[in-house]
Amino acid sequence: MTASVETAAAQAGKPPRDWVLISLWISLVVVAAVWIAPFVFIVFTSLKSTAQVMTSSAFAPPTDPQFSNFTAAWARGRFSTTVVNSVIITAVKVPLGLFLSAMAAYALAKIPMRFGKLILVLILFGTMIPFQVMLAPIFTLVNGFGLIDTYPGVILPYLAFGIPYQVFILYGFFRNIPHELSEAARIDGASHFTTFRRVFLPVSLPVLAALFILDFVATWNEFAMALVLLQDREMWTLPLGLSAFQGQFSRDYGQLNAAIVMTVLPAIIVYLIFQRYFVSGLTSGAVKG
Amino acid sequence: MASVTISNVRKNYGAVPVIHGVDIDIHHGEFVVLVGPSGCGKSTLLRMIAGLENISDGTIAIDDKVVNHLEPKDRDIAMVFQNYALYPQMTVAQNMSFALELAKVDKATIRQKVDAAAAILGLEPLLDRKPAQLSGGQRQRVAMGRAIVRNPKVFLFDEPLSNLDAKLRVAMRAEIKSLHQRLGTTIVYVTHDQIEAMTMADRIVVLNAGRVEQIGTPLELYDRPVNRFVAGFIGSPAMNFVAGTLQAGQAGLKVASGAVIPIGPYPAEFAGRQVEFGIRPEHIQVADGNGLEARVEVVEPTGSETHVVIDMAGEKLVALIRHRISITAGDAMSVVFEEGQGHLFDADSGQRLTHTSATAAM
Repeated sequence: MTASVETAAAQAGKPPRDWVLISLWISLVVVAAVWIAPFVFIVFTSLKSTAQVMTSSAFAPPTDPQFSNFTAAWARGRFSTTVVNSVIITAVKVPLGLFLSAMAAYALAKIPMRFGKLILVLILFGTMIPFQVMLAPIFTLVNGFGLIDTYPGVILPYLAFGIPYQVFILYGFFRNIPHELSEAARIDGASHFTTFRRVFLPVSLPVLAALFILDFVATWNEFAMALVLLQDREMWTLPLGLSAFQGQFSRDYGQLNAAIVMTVLPAIIVYLIFQRYFVSGLTSGAVKG
Repeated sequence: MASVTISNVRKNYGAVPVIHGVDIDIHHGEFVVLVGPSGCGKSTLLRMIAGLENISDGTIAIDDKVVNHLEPKDRDIAMVFQNYALYPQMTVAQNMSFALELAKVDKATIRQKVDAAAAILGLEPLLDRKPAQLSGGQRQRVAMGRAIVRNPKVFLFDEPLSNLDAKLRVAMRAEIKSLHQRLGTTIVYVTHDQIEAMTMADRIVVLNAGRVEQIGTPLELYDRPVNRFVAGFIGSPAMNFVAGTLQAGQAGLKVASGAVIPIGPYPAEFAGRQVEFGIRPEHIQVADGNGLEARVEVVEPTGSETHVVIDMAGEKLVALIRHRISITAGDAMSVVFEEGQGHLFDADSGQRLTHTSATAAM
């Protein structure tokens, strides 16, 4: 019966409806809506006055956009300080972490070492420990080095917790690069570092871009560790600055959301720039390319 | 040009030996093909010459200089890999100049060498392309170009034609051979394809299970294989083998069915021995009625020749007929073994017994 209907439709020149595809599209739209809704809420609220926030629906567009929320939030959240701190920490941590991870992953994947597997297991062990568990020991350690309220004091723990999973991803990627490629480089007279820099890094750009985005967003938005390790307000990062909007007696939702918009904007811009690599990076290694 | 001397080379992976003491002398400018079935150790041996695998025992010398502990780059060799191993993000020109660049050769010389190699291989229009934009044959040529620009003492080829389609393989085969004739560089070439070995090599080394079975020119191997393995490996369609016992008085070979097949004269002292009689398909010819009786089982015309599978006293043999013949399965057929073309191998050791002057009497 179905077959004959489909045949008839095909004969009429119309492709038969694929109900699986249609339901997939519907579920995709629903999921996208769920993800986009909070963002719409934040952007709309950032442009409303406190009175408007209380009287209008959360998803109602602002009737009288309050751009002053952004200037007020910039001052109140001490953005001129926190942005600088966030930029310095992220700009140092993300590229440095990726570079170290890539070198470690190359060494583990391509240089025969006596205890290579053991070292890999130890590094992978690092991905299994939630950093929240380690907050108190880290504080003690960083304090012991006298690095509380310094950039290295927060960058070093970030590196320690970021590198293991990056090594894990890159190790898998490098293992999949045909060994003839490194052997050809070896015969051509390349040292390990040259092979890494001239052959492996360019080949790994998609996966490096994907890791760059993930790490950038994670570092930019990191709150808990920064809260513990950065106690001087002059050293606060953007997410810590947001806490200024959650006072005991006052809540200005317009300003809070304006601050959130300004905080997440760089992450969104970085994502949009690298997103085409991101998708290909996530699937890289899935099929032999 | 250089000589390569492999002396009693062994390779073990842990406790498992994969190369059992191999000796090969490769002369200046020679084209030597290492051939053998999968897992025979031919690629391992090539990788040991290249310096990509450690040598467990023995020595490898290039131009009388032992290179066992030299890095690949210091051995003055160049290698072409089966999957080309081109650097995907570099252009053809960059791929070819990479080694020279690392050796800090000045830019003008690099340009000149790359252009010269590109001219030899017809790669000039492709110099600015990336490997992904090239066909399989073009990639193979770039891989060879990368080897040529270095002007090495020895070229190593590791099954370079395996990834190409049949037609291109034949074309590239001729190209590599003519390249060797022009450059005169010593070449060690690994393949599992005995046709490639036969058509290209000055000398062939047949390897099996980590041992050298025979070293010789293609026709030596074809005409006088030293054992049953080489006899069966070299030649397509493969040599026919019939197992049986040699009878006294030159009567012939008594096969499993009890019948005695006359195979021509053989030394009288072989009577009573268990042997395998080998005869190449082209040495089985159609006789006009007074030959050996056989029944046609399968007829496979290829155009230039016809392969006929026949049943002779319960033994399956392939005959290769070069002229047009009109037979069909089930037909009776009379055949002869061509004079002086039979081979006898010991049934136990597989070693060659003698080159019989078979069928002289027939």
